[in-house]
Amino acid sequence: MQPDYRGDADHHDGTSDATPGGYAAQRRPGELAFAIFLTLASLYLLYEAYGISGFEALSAPGAIPMATTFAMVLSALAVAVRTAGLPLVQNESIRADILPVRVGVFVVLLICFGLLLKPLGFLPTALLFLIVSIKLLARRSWAYTLVVSVGSLIAIWIVFRVVFTVLLPSGIVPEAEFIQILRDLAKGGAS
Amino acid sequence: MEAVAAFFTVFTQPELLVLVAVGTFAGIYVGAIPGLSVTMAVSILISFTFSWDVYPAISLMVGIFMGGVYGGSRTAILLNIPGAPSAIATALDGYPMAQRGEAGQAIGVTTVMSFFGGLIGIAVLAIAAPFVSDFALRFQPRDYMLLAVLGILLVGSLSSGSLVKGIFAGALGIAIGAVGRDPLTFAERFTFDLQIMEGGISFIAVMIGMFGVSEALQQLHNIDKTAVRQKITKIVPSFGTIRKYLPLSLQTSSIGVIIGALPGTGGDIAALMAYDHAKRVTKDPEVPFGQGAMEGLVAPETANNAAVGGAFIPMMTLGIPGDAVTAIMIGALFIHGLNPGPMLMIDQPDMFWFIVGALLTANIFMLIFGLTGIKIFTKIVEMPRAIIIPLILLLSIVGAYAVNNSITDVYWMLGFGVFGYFMRHYGYPLGPVILGVILSRLLDDNWRRAIISEREDLGRFFEGIFTSPLSLVLFSAVILIFVSQTPVWTSMKTRLFGKASS
Repeated sequence: MQPDYRGDADHHDGTSDATPGGYAAQRRPGELAFAIFLTLASLYLLYEAYGISGFEALSAPGAIPMATTFAMVLSALAVAVRTAGLPLVQNESIRADILPVRVGVFVVLLICFGLLLKPLGFLPTALLFLIVSIKLLARRSWAYTLVVSVGSLIAIWIVFRVVFTVLLPSGIVPEAEFIQILRDLAKGGAS
Repeated sequence: MEAVAAFFTVFTQPELLVLVAVGTFAGIYVGAIPGLSVTMAVSILISFTFSWDVYPAISLMVGIFMGGVYGGSRTAILLNIPGAPSAIATALDGYPMAQRGEAGQAIGVTTVMSFFGGLIGIAVLAIAAPFVSDFALRFQPRDYMLLAVLGILLVGSLSSGSLVKGIFAGALGIAIGAVGRDPLTFAERFTFDLQIMEGGISFIAVMIGMFGVSEALQQLHNIDKTAVRQKITKIVPSFGTIRKYLPLSLQTSSIGVIIGALPGTGGDIAALMAYDHAKRVTKDPEVPFGQGAMEGLVAPETANNAAVGGAFIPMMTLGIPGDAVTAIMIGALFIHGLNPGPMLMIDQPDMFWFIVGALLTANIFMLIFGLTGIKIFTKIVEMPRAIIIPLILLLSIVGAYAVNNSITDVYWMLGFGVFGYFMRHYGYPLGPVILGVILSRLLDDNWRRAIISEREDLGRFFEGIFTSPLSLVLFSAVILIFVSQTPVWTSMKTRLFGKASS
């Protein structure tokens, strides 16, 4: 049994783990390009690693980086050569199985999240992200989307800002003042 | 005496007890919801518990770990979807049982057996770890280096089909770990003359990206899948049932502990090996294997929970993680200023005993939560993915940001998330990357120490390896893994066993 090469089953049954998909004897669309990309990237890294200290000494700071990037080049090359010789999977395409539009959209959404996080602050950015993504995925009414987004954001904010005391960029929302009001209220209630 | 006090720390502080309980509960559900993995949960949680004291943080994470390994079995039985890799073998016989309407019984036996396996794993950890760490004090730097290489290779070769891809992933991890200024000579490594690269890449950003974001993106593929309801009746198994499977569970627990204790191998492999073992030793099962044999449930579930205790042995005594989750646990210990390795047992034995106590507590809570609350469980598992996935992505971003309050970390996290997504699709294992990042420093330091003590002479270095029995064993193991992947080995195996792959 090969538990890891679940191949097609991997992205249809919802199993979740860190072990990879892929096929043992076939090549998925884009797999060869990825392997070549890794080989070229490894070669560049090897060049960078050589630049650290060259062949100065076995204990030089560049020794392990050179050894590892060399291993990367060799293994990436081996994978690329092997992949090139495999037959292409017939019933898959990049658009449908590797990078569907939905995944692409989410990558863009995540990048926007990162860009807006600092200027706008956590709460507005997260709310926007949740509304857009839940609306896209669940395809339910706006009321449903808004209630779920706001509700889960409040829950997350309470758990992480208050319980875990995680600091998040406050941006345009006067978060600290709000927490202070809450504290005062709690104090007032206690006395 | 102090060990006993430290062992009972969890029980004497209600706050810690509650945290272990919360962690276990959360772990069971996180493990059970397909699309959420323990690795993901623990890696996101590290960043949130960053500002906490070390005891509460560890209590929570130990609970999640223990609960998560068990939780994966639930969905394996009910939906034929292993919630965690360690539950892959559980689905083979668990789901057929559920189809026959015996889901309750299957869950009950699984729970009790998981508890039993967990108990054995923890006992072995408590007994063996002090000896191992005594032994580990005699390790030379080259032994540590070899162990680190062995660990990365084992994760690469055992957890996936292609060792070459595993080697690539491991080497990539080591390279990522080397980014930034070299701690010894202050030379810049892989910084590309950029200011932001000098501090190195936060391993938490790598972890959350690889296990959180890439997982969530992957789950976008099956957003429309809905869960199938199963009727669940009587859960608590009878004493007779338990007694019947006790001998088998003892054997499979031992397999679990040993596999778990090997650096680089964890619960998923332990479970599959135990399943194979059960198949071989059970002469005439009431129901054939694969069609709902109780033995096929007992074996993997005892083994994967026993592997938890086992995996903590190399982690606590050598600082070498057993698998991806323990790699993340090591990261968590680092963050809290602890340095797992033989010195931890000497400098802070109470920390070790505290973790053993927390594991035991988590195991007990797992039994309690496992046998109750099945109604809520079915509700939670049916939570729509359309909501869960955006929430995971949100938490990943918050988590990556929280550790250093740095937007750069968020970008790294997103970058590795997308990269990891492609790695998943093309069959590159992600575990070795994390192991590589965590072990990079240890490998580098020990290599340099070893080679400097041999006056930069490779000949003397190898002489040292061949004259020390321990180094020789480790070195042979590394070589063996390489040989086992070459055609020579395959043809030899074909001749010996008649079949190349099982």
